Amino acid sequence: MDLLKVGESVSLSEYLKRLWAHRHFMIRVPLEDLRAQNSHTFLGSIWLVLNPLLQVGVYFLVFGLIMPIDRGVDQYLVFLTIGVFVFFNSQRVISESTRSLVINVGLIRTVHFPRAVLPMSATVGQALAFIPVFVVMTIVVLAYGNWPHVRWLLILPVFVIQNAFSLGIGLIGARINHSYRDLENLLPFVFRLLFYISGVLYSVDSVVEDDFWRAIFLLNPMYCLVSLWRWVMVGTSTGVEVWLATGVWSLLALMVGLSAFRSKETTYGGTG
Amino acid sequence: MTDLAIRCSEAHVSYFVRTNRQLIRSVIRGQKPEIRVIEAVKGVTFDVNVGESVGLIGPNGSGKTSLLQAMTGLLPLNKGEVLVKSVPTFLGVQAVLRPQLTGWRNIQLGLLAQGLSKSEAENMTGSVADFCELGDFLDLPMETFSSGMKARLHFAVATALAPDILLIDEALAVGDRSFQKKSSERLEEHRAKAGTILLVSHNLEEVRQSCQRVIWLEGGVIVADGPANDVIEAYEAS
Repeated sequence: MDLLKVGESVSLSEYLKRLWAHRHFMIRVPLEDLRAQNSHTFLGSIWLVLNPLLQVGVYFLVFGLIMPIDRGVDQYLVFLTIGVFVFFNSQRVISESTRSLVINVGLIRTVHFPRAVLPMSATVGQALAFIPVFVVMTIVVLAYGNWPHVRWLLILPVFVIQNAFSLGIGLIGARINHSYRDLENLLPFVFRLLFYISGVLYSVDSVVEDDFWRAIFLLNPMYCLVSLWRWVMVGTSTGVEVWLATGVWSLLALMVGLSAFRSKETTYGGTG
Repeated sequence: MTDLAIRCSEAHVSYFVRTNRQLIRSVIRGQKPEIRVIEAVKGVTFDVNVGESVGLIGPNGSGKTSLLQAMTGLLPLNKGEVLVKSVPTFLGVQAVLRPQLTGWRNIQLGLLAQGLSKSEAENMTGSVADFCELGDFLDLPMETFSSGMKARLHFAVATALAPDILLIDEALAVGDRSFQKKSSERLEEHRAKAGTILLVSHNLEEVRQSCQRVIWLEGGVIVADGPANDVIEAYEAS
C-alpha cells in the first residue's frame, strides 16, 4: 500500500492533468460570478457593453478633443479603443488572478483541488468579459472603414498569447499576495504607470526616433501586446521583433509563474 | 492485515505569528519585526487504519487544529512526516464557499471543485440538497444563511464524494440535534465503507458516540491514545 507524503508536490505533468480535470469548474465559477455581479444594477448585463463604451468615451474626450495628443496617428479613436481595451484586459486578468487566492480562501480550506485553478478561473472570467468589449472594439474598427482582413485570423492566437502572459504574471502575483497583501495596494499604481508608458494613448513611433529607445520599449510586454493587436486589427506597422519579444515574454511569464505558484501550493489557505 | 490510512511520525508543527510586519515601525522606532514562533505540535506519533474513526480531544490550544491542518498540508511540518493514503478533506467551521451565490449554485460549485464533470455534478446536486434539508432556503444567497445552515450545506458537499480521509474540526457542533444525528450516521456509514475519520470535538458525548478510539492531546504532545471510553474517562478525571 503506497502512502503519499503530505506537503510533497506532484510532478508537473500530474499537476497539469489535475488542472484539466477541473476545467468545468474553471468555466462555471466566472459564469456564476458574472451573473451575480450585475444582478443588483438597473441596467443589468447591458453594463458589460456600456462600461467599455464609457471608458473609451472618457479617454477620447480628454486626449482626443480637450488636449489632443493624436499627432502622427490616423483614426485616433480606433487607435485609442484598441489600446485601452487590450491594456485593461491584461490589467484585469493580472489583478483578479493576484487576488484570487485571498478571495477564495473559504473554498481552498473546504475542498482539495490544484490551486492554480483559481487564477486560471479568474483569467477565463476576464476572457468572457472581453467578448462584449471585443464586439464594441470591432464595431469602432469597422465604422472607420477598416474592412475584415486576413490578419483577423490571428485575433484568437494573439488573444491566447496575451492571456498566457497575463496569467503567468497573475500566478506570480497570487504567490506574492498570499504572503504580502501589500501587493494589492501597489498594483493599481504599477498599472497606471504602465498605462502611460505602453503607448496606449499615443504612438510610440512618433515620439521615439532612436533605435536604442525603441529596443527599450520591447522590454515592456504591454507595449508589445498593444502593438500586435493594432497590427492585427488595422494593420498599424509592427516589426518582427515585437512578435518575438511578445512570444518570449509570454512563455517566460507562464513558466516562471507556474513554478513560482507551485512552490507554495500546499500552504495556500494557511496564514501565509 | 489492515491497511494504513494515516501514519504520523514525530510530527512537529510550528507556525510564525508576525505580530508586527510593518516596515515603518521597525525603521522609525528601531523595533525588530516580532516573529513569535508557536510550537503547536511537538512530536506526535500515531497510526490510523483504514475504517477507523478517531477522536482528538484536549483543551483549547493543545494543537488539535494545527495537527489536522498539517495533515492536509495547510501548515508545513518542520520535523517528522505525515503519510496519508490520499489527501484528506478538511471540514472546519469557518468555511464559506461563495457567499453571494445561492445554496444550489454553491453545491454545484463545491462538487465541480472536487473535480466532477458538469453532468456528474448536476446528477449529484439533488441528493446533496436532500441531505442538507434546507428546502427553499437553497434558493437564497449563502450570505443569508445561519451558521448552522452553512454547516449543513458544507458537510453535505464535503462528504458527498466519500473522501478516503475526512478531518472534522468542530464542524458538527453548530448543527441542531437532528442534523447532528444525521451527520454522525453518515460518518458511521462512511467509516464502514473503508473511510477514515479524525474528529476534533469538545463534545465528549459526540466523540464517545462516533469514535472507538481517542487521542488526548495536550500542550502539543499525546497524553493518551486508546479505546474511547478509557481515554475520555481519564480526560474527564484530570
